[in-house]
Amino acid sequence: MRSFRLLILVIIGLGLLLIAGCSRYHTSGPTQIIYWTGWSGHELEIQRKLVDRFNATHKDIHVKLLSVFGSYQKVTIAFAGGDTPDVLSAVWADQLAGYAMRDALTPLDQYLKASNRTSSEWAPGVWQMFQYKGHTYALAATTNTSFIAYNKDIFREAGIKSLPRNIAELDEAAAKCTMYDSNGRFIRYGFRPSDLVTWAYVFGGRWYDPSTGKITANDPHNVEALRWMASYSKKYDIRRMQGFESTFGSDQSVSGPFFVGKKAMWQTGEWVDQYVKRYAEHLNWGYFPLPYPPGGRPNAMSLGGSVFVIPAACKHKKEAWEFLNWICGPEAVADFCEGIGNVPPLRAVAESPRFIKKPLFAFAGNLISSKNAFGAPQMPIWPTYKQEIARAEDFAVYGGQDPKKLLDAIQKKMEMELADAMEGRK
Amino acid sequence: MIGGKSSVQRRQAILTHLALGLLSVVCLLPFYWLVATSLKADMQVHAMPPVWVPHPVVWANYPKALVYIPFLHYMKNTLFICLMTVFGTLLSCSLVAYSFSKIKWPGRDALFVLVLSTLMLPGQVTMIPIFAVFRWLGWIGSYKPLIVPSFFGSAFFIFLLRQFFMTIPQELSDAARVDGAGELSIYRMVILPLAKPALITVGLFTFIGAWNDFLGPLLYLNDDSKYTLSLGLQQYVSQHGQEWQLLMAAATVMVVPIIIIFLLAQRTFVKGIALTGLKG
Amino acid sequence: MKLADPQSDRPRMSRSAKRDLRNGLLFASPWIIGFSVFTAYAIAASLYYSFCRYDILTPPHWIGLKNYSRLIVDDEVFRRSLWNTLYMVIFGLPIGLVASLALSLLLNAKVKGIAIYRTIFYIPSLVPAVAVATLWMWLLNTDIGLVNVILSKIGIMGPGWLTDPKWAKPALILMGLWGVGGSSIIYLAGLQGIPEHLYEAAELDGAGPMQKLRHVTLPMLSPVIFFNLIMGLIGSFQYFTQIYIMTNGGLQDSTLFYALNLFNRAFVDLRMGYASAMAWILFAITLLCTLLVFKTSAKWVYYEGGASK
Repeated sequence: MRSFRLLILVIIGLGLLLIAGCSRYHTSGPTQIIYWTGWSGHELEIQRKLVDRFNATHKDIHVKLLSVFGSYQKVTIAFAGGDTPDVLSAVWADQLAGYAMRDALTPLDQYLKASNRTSSEWAPGVWQMFQYKGHTYALAATTNTSFIAYNKDIFREAGIKSLPRNIAELDEAAAKCTMYDSNGRFIRYGFRPSDLVTWAYVFGGRWYDPSTGKITANDPHNVEALRWMASYSKKYDIRRMQGFESTFGSDQSVSGPFFVGKKAMWQTGEWVDQYVKRYAEHLNWGYFPLPYPPGGRPNAMSLGGSVFVIPAACKHKKEAWEFLNWICGPEAVADFCEGIGNVPPLRAVAESPRFIKKPLFAFAGNLISSKNAFGAPQMPIWPTYKQEIARAEDFAVYGGQDPKKLLDAIQKKMEMELADAMEGRK
Repeated sequence: MIGGKSSVQRRQAILTHLALGLLSVVCLLPFYWLVATSLKADMQVHAMPPVWVPHPVVWANYPKALVYIPFLHYMKNTLFICLMTVFGTLLSCSLVAYSFSKIKWPGRDALFVLVLSTLMLPGQVTMIPIFAVFRWLGWIGSYKPLIVPSFFGSAFFIFLLRQFFMTIPQELSDAARVDGAGELSIYRMVILPLAKPALITVGLFTFIGAWNDFLGPLLYLNDDSKYTLSLGLQQYVSQHGQEWQLLMAAATVMVVPIIIIFLLAQRTFVKGIALTGLKG
Repeated sequence: MKLADPQSDRPRMSRSAKRDLRNGLLFASPWIIGFSVFTAYAIAASLYYSFCRYDILTPPHWIGLKNYSRLIVDDEVFRRSLWNTLYMVIFGLPIGLVASLALSLLLNAKVKGIAIYRTIFYIPSLVPAVAVATLWMWLLNTDIGLVNVILSKIGIMGPGWLTDPKWAKPALILMGLWGVGGSSIIYLAGLQGIPEHLYEAAELDGAGPMQKLRHVTLPMLSPVIFFNLIMGLIGSFQYFTQIYIMTNGGLQDSTLFYALNLFNRAFVDLRMGYASAMAWILFAITLLCTLLVFKTSAKWVYYEGGASK
């Protein structure tokens, strides 16, 4: 029947569709370097400008930029299939050890040497972040710091004469700044700590001991840090704090709690400067490094952010390096950091007049060079570990569970995971 | 229907309007929020308590949003993918659904369970092997992974159409068969016309799914000249210094064409009221 | 074609049955071909991964049932995520089904401007997830969100919705209700297909609106109800997008759903093998539930078409 034959034709057509392949075109001329970035929006715009500038000044290399919008899936699938880009800046410093351990990345040592780049160019904590088992696997164009921003007017009103330098003083200042209305609800509160990873460093603890290769989740200092964080929940009644916090506007708006005086102190980073300028021009504010307890670490913080890597499967390593070297070089780093308000990880750039002239950046630049600025621990399961730490914080601060028990549980779990991950590997 | 509108019917109509009206307000709230935010000035976007009526009304957000990304270009790309996908889905799913509903053959129901079970495995774990297949075929970087599979049926719509086809009386097909029509003719002349509302629904859902699809284009496209609107929308999202009002403006422009298509498709919905049954 | 094999007593397939088999397979061939090329390999591969340690960056290597035993015996987070998801299936699914059915009946009314109402109710499915999330986070705000403000006007003190672990899931179900327009449209398509004469016959028999609903509408709509039930089941088990944006599984794990947990294991922890085992466990559970519904369907699903099943 006619209709029967028609159906056969349709099926043959479908079959042809399957066989039709993608046309492959080949370009002669400059070496093409594929560069994927996780950034979008404003950051992507600046990267685009930088890439254009590189292409204009390097006639033998053409960099093609693509944003992957931070998608874990796209990046890992590319690695699985060997279709990785030549340069990638969609990997977090947290993930670096995991990728390096599995030989997915190109070690950069020989290239750094050939281009005369040395470790001393970078803040030591930042440089540490690039390492795994004695080799350098990444560079970075940005980093950030954490410190405490405070409202000068509120401090004056509360009678706080000097900036808190230790935990006791911090607690006291927080209490002084807290105000309630006649119904016992918050009008403002002084402070609420967050980010257990960082505070553990401040209290003198650590999450991993590279010299022994062991997990140290339940280090007593870590437990103390979490206990201190949970103490705010008890002292100020976490339910009431949550209720109060739900009235906060977004930090990126005129109604940001710090901007409208609902928070006297804010644990934040140097990038907040842009927001203050934009949304709270007349705010009278200052900053000081994270206070630490006796036996703790001064100027401690955790560093992170995205890093630039060259996947192992790259076929144009020399050209990829030339681009990576440039985009993590002084000129590009200065422009990028200024554009997004981050402190440059390169010391020369951080100490250049362009950045030093802004007191906040001079302060931040100093902080990142501190010997207590920790990058991600060089162990492969750090992203998982970090998630577990966040969960523990959640359960301790909001759920009132015992910090020691929580961290002991993480200790056991992460030991198991690390053993699994290292099975059959160096 | 006997006579004109009785008072009972009028009361029913009023109650219906009341119920629908109230629910509509709730339903429209987020959409109103979307549009209102798109017309706000920077300062008002995240104000707390929220600003319900933007003052001033910043119409300029729209032209700004539309040049922030190559909007028209992305729309063209997205339309292409959507139309191809709709065509492929309607064609293949109706054929396969016909087999599962209007032809009786051994193994049919077992195969149908297999079709359904492909929906039960979370996509995260098949992502990598499917990508590998497309890679082997050489399709990565083109639109093919997004379009071609739709010509081979989609379990969701096969299931939907099967259910609809099964409500069409067998007597109609049997009568046509007696008249000497082959399966394909029955499919074309008898079943398809009667399943119009279902087909329009499938077409609509497919279009909207393809229009809003984010992960597919992200995974398979490697050239931002091929990017779609949903990817473009991500461009407005930034770590620092988000411009929410532009994002909302772009999102509104993305949604409006679909609303129009939906309104238009509705008219055929009503017109295509199936006169199934053994009337005459 | 011989009707029967002369060398045996038993009749072979009749000519028409052979033709039906050929046609059946032919019409189903697009799916069969597509499955063989695209899907079958992927499904087999993911099953294989579930018995392996696979970190995506290096090839998988076989470890037998270790993933499964670890999941079932040791993994507390897995159990919690399973419970959270079951919660959505047990509570969210019925509520959603009833709501969308009720809405579609309303939207089937023959009043003026019904097309506009239908469009309005479908709009929520079109608004991008990021806008939906923002708005709902505000609506469910404990102090000044619209929901609690309205509740307080009628004397009820609203709970902490998205800040209270006990109320987070009900909050998500509430959010889900807002999007029922999508399934209502499918019901609408089904309602359009119910022949007018059935209602007329019922009226002649003295049936009121409730009887018409019970004896005409629902049975005629049952194939579509069946569809929405199965798809709702499958969908609830894989609930992911909204919480990924809004809470990312926070609030002391109260919003850690199965699919989100799976995603984290696969792409953040780089434990695709483990995640695959999770996927196959979910598959087994979903398949079981679906087959159960299929088995009962003979009792309540009515196909006017008269085809079997």
